[in-house]
Amino acid sequence: MGAKGEYYPSKLIGKVLKIFCISNFVFDMVSFHRLLVVYPWTQRFFDSFGNLSSPSAILGNPKVKAHGKKVLTSFGDAIKNMDNLKITFAKLSELHCDKLHVDPENFKLLGNVMVIILATHFGKEFTPEVQAAWQKLVSAVAIALAHKYH
Amino acid sequence: MLSAQERAQIAQVWDLIAGHEAQFGAELLLRLFTVYPSTKVYFPHLSSCHDATQLLSHGQRMLAAVGAAVQHMDHLRAALSPLADLHALVLRVDPANFPLLIQCFHVVLASHLQDEFTVEMQAAWDKFLTGVAVVLTEKYR
Repeated sequence: MGAKGEYYPSKLIGKVLKIFCISNFVFDMVSFHRLLVVYPWTQRFFDSFGNLSSPSAILGNPKVKAHGKKVLTSFGDAIKNMDNLKITFAKLSELHCDKLHVDPENFKLLGNVMVIILATHFGKEFTPEVQAAWQKLVSAVAIALAHKYH
Repeated sequence: MLSAQERAQIAQVWDLIAGHEAQFGAELLLRLFTVYPSTKVYFPHLSSCHDATQLLSHGQRMLAAVGAAVQHMDHLRAALSPLADLHALVLRVDPANFPLLIQCFHVVLASHLQDEFTVEMQAAWDKFLTGVAVVLTEKYR
């Protein structure tokens, strides 16, 4: 990223995230719900979550909601530490590899779903440039989360 | 295999795009080039100057092909055979690029339809467009 690259995406991402928090948009829950419905094979990691038998069951599942909240908190950390993602996510990466056994491909899928949900919320304001900034961020988070896999 | 419900979702979304193929296609291409700059290598005549007329023209062509796929959901291979030949013999777009285009397609739909872009719609369109991409790259080897 050049000088413009370092400045521009941060501002775009910060602006979008601030609007999120103000609007109480249930981003965390909705993105996990979408992941589990659009890519049903991702449910393999959530056997202990209980009823995931239909889109409405997934939407009403308290464990899905709780996990969604955790992911959003992590994203908040990502935005505060955009230059140190690999260090920021080192422990989480080890956890997802050693304990949770999650295929890193899933991080990319979730990232893409989050971008789509942002687009549904922001409509025309979600310009190609804003999309580019967010795709870069979610991709960098996915790489950071996969970094400690062995 | 698409279920009856998925077909209905696909047709419902297509009804919203039909008549606006050029604008939709142009926005799709603009997003593709902005978000995934490496894809520009496949569109040297388009991506160097972002000429609106050319983007609209090529966008129209791409979305017309998607429209044809929607009309022939049960016979994708036959309906898209000439396009599959084109991609295999002439264009040779690396298959890894189709998911990038599909992501941008979803974002265009999402930003225009907003809350109306339900999870069921996204699931149906993702399945459908992935199927189209499979057919378009099937003759590669």
